[in-house]
Amino acid sequence: MASVNQDNIPGATGTAPAKKSQAPAKTADSQSVLKRLQSELMALMMGGDSGISAFPEEDNIFCWKGTINGSKDTVFEGTQYKLSLSFPNDYPFKPPKVKFETLCFHPNVDVRGHICLDILQDKWSSAYDVRTILLSIQSLLGEPNTSSPLNPQAAQLWGNQEDYRKMVEKLYKSPNA
Amino acid sequence: MDHHQISEGVDDESEVFSERFLCCVCLDLLYKPIVLSCGHISCFWCVHKSMSGEQQSHCPLCRHPYTHFPTICQMLHCLLLKLYPLAYNRRELQILEQEKEMDLFSPQFDVQAWSSQANQVSNILADSVCEGLCTNMEKTVSNSFIQNHGTVISKPTDCENYEAMENVTDQVKNGLLRQQQSGSSKQISVADVLCAACKELLFRPVALNCGHVYCESCIVNQDEQMLRCQVCQSFHPIGFPKVCLDLCNFLDEHFPKEYALRRDVVQLEHVNLKNRKHVNPTACESKTSEEGEKLSSWSFHRGAGCDYCGMYPIIGDRYQCQDCSERIGFDLCGDCYNTNSKLPGRFNQQHTAEHRFERKCTNIICGPVRLEDDSVTLLMAHISGGLEEYDRSREVPHATFANGEDEDEQDGSEPSSLPSSI
Repeated sequence: MASVNQDNIPGATGTAPAKKSQAPAKTADSQSVLKRLQSELMALMMGGDSGISAFPEEDNIFCWKGTINGSKDTVFEGTQYKLSLSFPNDYPFKPPKVKFETLCFHPNVDVRGHICLDILQDKWSSAYDVRTILLSIQSLLGEPNTSSPLNPQAAQLWGNQEDYRKMVEKLYKSPNA
Repeated sequence: MDHHQISEGVDDESEVFSERFLCCVCLDLLYKPIVLSCGHISCFWCVHKSMSGEQQSHCPLCRHPYTHFPTICQMLHCLLLKLYPLAYNRRELQILEQEKEMDLFSPQFDVQAWSSQANQVSNILADSVCEGLCTNMEKTVSNSFIQNHGTVISKPTDCENYEAMENVTDQVKNGLLRQQQSGSSKQISVADVLCAACKELLFRPVALNCGHVYCESCIVNQDEQMLRCQVCQSFHPIGFPKVCLDLCNFLDEHFPKEYALRRDVVQLEHVNLKNRKHVNPTACESKTSEEGEKLSSWSFHRGAGCDYCGMYPIIGDRYQCQDCSERIGFDLCGDCYNTNSKLPGRFNQQHTAEHRFERKCTNIICGPVRLEDDSVTLLMAHISGGLEEYDRSREVPHATFANGEDEDEQDGSEPSSLPSSI
């Protein structure tokens, strides 16, 4: 047997014969992705999790918009963040690209909304779904990793929760300030 | 499971299946199920596509590491077909459609042969008088006879099949009605879920890499050798398999009396065996890490797997069949090439003993390298001259079994463990 996901292997070399390097038919793939995303949507709508939500964009089920509420008893309490999720053709075998659309002042989120979270990269598992992603990001808000920050300023301020809370509020009300 | 809110999958024909048979990857009824050595179940394609072609793979649910692509568990396959004929056939058609588009096919089974085998066993069982079980068994056996005539379906492409399907539909509808009245399904019998060794109802079932299922207590690892399947003689590659809890709970629920009886019997045996030396699972684990010591660096075939033992990717020698024309190809690892085993391929390849093999050379040699700051990096060297450094110090414990101390780091990772930022 040889990998059917050849095109996903970074820098795949000539070890596999050429006849195998063809990418699998797009239609079959996107069919199963579609099915899985529909199941997830159903589960999300039935699940009734408080504090997170997600829904596909109007005409494209491969692009979702999600929202996360800051958890109680964290500096993010009372704030709400919009995120975008874009799913690859080989989802769930590869993670979706997740970005903050709302400015989020957080040690592990950069100014353009990129998130540094292991489960969205090398620790991704095909059993994760939109729900677990959003819950993970929600818990990341309250428990940042300040040792390798994307936003050093936020990491520095994290030690002072009172000031941090003020900063979050200030930026949340007027992102351009 | 931790994050599925759907309590039951609902089929188009309102055939309801238990959440424990929901695949965690495709979120649908398991189809051609594979039991990983950690005991978690997923579909054939879901497992294959979740595997990494360039390093150790991990269970999607618990991150338990594994290196071999297991064979489909035929017992579970037939069990699911019997339990949920409508949903399972829908899945079969659906997957076949996808397979046609991919031009890659999963192994096909002769379900009829399997069922008649199960029936034979059940007849023998019913004949031999086994006290309280007997009356119960006879009932279920006669039931399963009726079921088998209707439910056996070999290939969805036959037009006969559609007639059969209609039959099935009627039967199932009747069955469902009966179920609703009696409150529990009577479609399957103990004969469908027997241990490959003791031929009794599976107690704490574990599946080996070859897909055969045993009671945990029936797997005895003599003289600390690699586990070997008593049915097909293939080796189980790493460690001692864990109990498949989903199946275990299902059996307990479905056959409460019989299961309780088995529990008593096995526990009694266990007490008797206690004085003798019983090999415990940890012995195997220590052995694998020992074996790994030799592999401080290895030649490694990215994206190619062995069709006999399932090792994926192949580490060491790789032999590729020159005559198999399937897109997925047919490959063997060095060990399987030398043992001349005669198992079918893992993707329905039409491989025969006459086919010629070619030894493939890899130009990648892999090995962990300790850097100055004591972090470990995986170095991939292309023999052609290029040197490629992969910055995956975090992944090294997965990629190599060579580093004993790194092993601990990953063992702690649980499905529920909180994600951390990197």
